[in-house]
Amino acid sequence: MKSIFSYKTLVSILYFAAGIALMGGIWELIASLTKNEIPSPKMTWAVFKEVMNNPFQDDPDYKGIGTKLLSSLGRVATGFGLGSLVAIPLGLLMGSSKAVMNIINPMVQLLRPVSPLAWFPLGLAIFQDSPKASIFMIFICSLWPTLINAAFGVSHIPQDHKNVSKAFGFSAWKYLTRIVLPFSLPHILTGLRLSIGVAWMVIVAGEMLSGGIGLGYFVWEEGFNGGSVAKILVAIIIIGIVGLLLDKFFMSLQKRFSYAQ
Amino acid sequence: MRQFPVSAADNKLAAIDQEIINPALHQDCIEVKDVTVSFKSAKGLYTAVQDISLTIKKGEIVSLIGHSGCGKSTLMGTISGMVKPSKGTVIANGQVVTQPGPDRGIVFQNYSLLPWLSVYRNIYEAVDAALPRKSASEKKALVEHNLKMVNLLPHKDKLPAHLSGGMKQRVAIARAFAINPSILLLDEPFGALDALTKSNMHLELLKLWNLDNREKTIVMVTHDIEEAIFLSDRVVVMNNGPAATIREIVDVPLPRPRNKKEIVHDPEYIRIHDRLLNLLIEKFSIDDIHA
Repeated sequence: MKSIFSYKTLVSILYFAAGIALMGGIWELIASLTKNEIPSPKMTWAVFKEVMNNPFQDDPDYKGIGTKLLSSLGRVATGFGLGSLVAIPLGLLMGSSKAVMNIINPMVQLLRPVSPLAWFPLGLAIFQDSPKASIFMIFICSLWPTLINAAFGVSHIPQDHKNVSKAFGFSAWKYLTRIVLPFSLPHILTGLRLSIGVAWMVIVAGEMLSGGIGLGYFVWEEGFNGGSVAKILVAIIIIGIVGLLLDKFFMSLQKRFSYAQ
Repeated sequence: MRQFPVSAADNKLAAIDQEIINPALHQDCIEVKDVTVSFKSAKGLYTAVQDISLTIKKGEIVSLIGHSGCGKSTLMGTISGMVKPSKGTVIANGQVVTQPGPDRGIVFQNYSLLPWLSVYRNIYEAVDAALPRKSASEKKALVEHNLKMVNLLPHKDKLPAHLSGGMKQRVAIARAFAINPSILLLDEPFGALDALTKSNMHLELLKLWNLDNREKTIVMVTHDIEEAIFLSDRVVVMNNGPAATIREIVDVPLPRPRNKKEIVHDPEYIRIHDRLLNLLIEKFSIDDIHA
């Protein structure tokens, strides 16, 4: 068992601290150049503490920042979950059949470059409900990376593994569960990691459009409309940290399910 | 090097050797009839092997030897059912081969273990697929028995990545034996192993074959002359491809059990070795290259 306080961890902590200090320095500089039009880190910190006061307050007239965050996360989870439920099986199918690949691929290539925000009005037209439209938007944009990576994984199963299946007469089910899924799992997880990143980016924009309870609406309503740049900065920091944690979570899944060749 | 046990078992095997007519043995087991295999490639039709006929008897060990790319693996593929002949037929155990089956166990060149399954699971999944009618406990017993035979039971929970090359090959062999096939097909099984491990593996393979009363038919692809002589009853020498054919079939009438150390001094061994060298190699010294 290696000690947590090894030389290597110490060095990486020092690098991290240096990075944060550099960022703080630049921020401080910009604050003084704009004569605190952009609030300094210290002023932002004061607002941050105020925002973080009673974060899970859930009154009809005022929701705490934590409540808003959970509401955004809930929408992301729903859209991302539904998207993955469609993307994983479809990707596996595309990867294992040339015909399915040739049918679906042009559609993917056409729809993938469309800005997620373009889907929002369509969702609104379909569901007549803005939170559902946000979920729809997340759903659409979390399809592509998972779909493409799952298809790539399956289409790259080594001949050796296929030979084992053929030589010992694996059933279709055994081939799927013992070869296709384990081999493509790391690729699928890469796709999911990219998807959740996109979903988290898009939800903020979506909530600015849709209003309601969420981080995006917080940035727009309390930050911009409320004239508090500090609140915008606070929201940016929270969005960044949550995005980082989501990414780390999927990265740890990737590590957990990768295998040595 | 590990010594092959000389014991009562050997005497019993000697008795089997003496047995003149064992109706189970000496029957035709594999018949390759006028087999041609062609592939479509970017440059058009490529013929790997052409008009090959070969009969192998039950209980025989036969090596296919030749230079790289001479189609020996392709020829074996037609017996295993992994390769479809473009022309001709292959009959194994009285049935025309159309696909792989549980009567033929295959050991692949590069082990082909599934990297995400433990040693135990790698064998279990193969047994489970090939012998679906056996009960779970029978399958478990088969896997454990075969792991024991190759001395890997203590390593049964390891992943392939944590095994040495020799151990991986033993897993692959145990997997092929576990479905109890009457024919074993080995595609350059020891090619990637170092000389010492290879030597041990030869003995291990013969041990498994002996334990089964030498009833299993073994076909092995190799490019190692010493290996071919030590293990085989006959060595099939192939011409260089494309459109490879059989150049000559060399009998190896050396008595069994063979002793690795002593066999190399046997005049008969030396004669066979020279014959195979002459068939396979045209240039023997630097002078020959310039000549």
